[in-house]
Amino acid sequence: MNMRDALKKRDNFLAQVRQFFSRQGVIEVQTQQLLDTPAADVYIDSIAMQVNKDIEKKSKYLHTSPELEMKKMLVSGSGDIYQICTVFRDNEQGAQNFNEFTMLEYYRLGFDMHQLMDDIVKLLDALEVRGRVSKLSYAQAFFEYSDIDILNTDFEALKVIARKYGLSVDFEWIEDLQIFLFTHLIEPKLKDLPLCFIYDYPAMQSALAKVEGQVAHRFELYMQGVEIANGYDELQEAEAYQQRFGSEINKRTVLGKVSVDMDKDFLSSLKNPLPQCSGVAIGIDRLLSQIH
Amino acid sequence: MANYSTSQFKNGLKLMLDGNPCSIINNEIRKPGKGQASNKVKLKDLITGKTLEKTFKSGESVEGADVMELDMQYLYNDGSEWNFMDPNNFDQYAINDNAMDDVRGYLVEQDMCVVTLWNDNPISVTPPNHVMLEVVDTDPGLKGDTAGTGGKPATMNTGVVVQVPLFISIGEKVKVDTRTNEYAGRT
Repeated sequence: MNMRDALKKRDNFLAQVRQFFSRQGVIEVQTQQLLDTPAADVYIDSIAMQVNKDIEKKSKYLHTSPELEMKKMLVSGSGDIYQICTVFRDNEQGAQNFNEFTMLEYYRLGFDMHQLMDDIVKLLDALEVRGRVSKLSYAQAFFEYSDIDILNTDFEALKVIARKYGLSVDFEWIEDLQIFLFTHLIEPKLKDLPLCFIYDYPAMQSALAKVEGQVAHRFELYMQGVEIANGYDELQEAEAYQQRFGSEINKRTVLGKVSVDMDKDFLSSLKNPLPQCSGVAIGIDRLLSQIH
Repeated sequence: MANYSTSQFKNGLKLMLDGNPCSIINNEIRKPGKGQASNKVKLKDLITGKTLEKTFKSGESVEGADVMELDMQYLYNDGSEWNFMDPNNFDQYAINDNAMDDVRGYLVEQDMCVVTLWNDNPISVTPPNHVMLEVVDTDPGLKGDTAGTGGKPATMNTGVVVQVPLFISIGEKVKVDTRTNEYAGRT
């Protein structure tokens, strides 16, 4: 494909995305990209910037996702919103990971996780991305492809299984070993599936999703084995966010990673809880590369 | 021997795995959105020749293997061992016959080969890409036939059997590609 055609493909793609949301009354927003607080996620590193060198030396951080800034809008009454933006991450490695990439992030009020997954299928259909849609819970995927009862296998037992597969067991926490096993035992099996949602992650991998019993209402979308999207039935209360951030920040300390502060500004914006909503981040570059 | 971290992994790097020296032939890094990066590595076991797959958490380190590849001249076979010489210092190395399974049919005296040493012991030999071998047995050819219209099996002086064009006859020297065991011409 020549340059002009490649750019036209992308241009048309983004126009279709905007049309899809416009038809449903979801409005496009733009949030700050330079933040005062880096991301708390243990395995997502922010890129730090020195700003205002001539006035007051200050560190700012390029956003790794527009999630918290958009949630500030939601809590202030924005209604359904979406954003298409470039996000930046440090220490990314691998053939499909880059220091900057384009993210489509959107939130639908009143939607649960399954309604949002249905909506994503409609969005993909509008983008002419069609194919058999599979939906597997995280536990089902492990049962189906590896015979592991992932929700009821403890850390030590899981290590025994990982050793059996000749995989590393040098992990600090069970969730890291779960993710590792998913990457190497399950993901390769998803290559044959055009569109596959994995949902109900183990509670330990809840990120910012609501937890119910053993599982978090979190999902990911895989396209032919490639991770395309990550969504949640979103946490609503400030205390819940504070606890999740705290746990990630502690993990960073244990691993000797750059320590980060709690995003107090975000927490104080949640005086009223976030309205019940589900949101998702979709990697636009990866999605485009899957469309021929 | 030094340890290597996953960030230093690259094709051709030699590592110790399960007690055997291995060479990386492919290194694939995967980083899930919310998780740690990991390296899926394909390696060739330099002793058994088998390909294996190992997966490491990024940041893990693995013991390096003291493996060297040296250009050496093949001298002679004394019946049980194959003898090579490093032309730089005239050191001689003898390699046991059972390590020579894949290559003994391509070794021509005086040819330069690559000998792989592990802890200073030879473990494998890579012959040149092309070697000149002499046909010692083949069916009589047909007149007027040219290369590319099928062929016939021919046994070489080293014992290896190569498919050659019909016009090749006993006593001729032919060029053989050692990577594919194919006839590659007469000069």
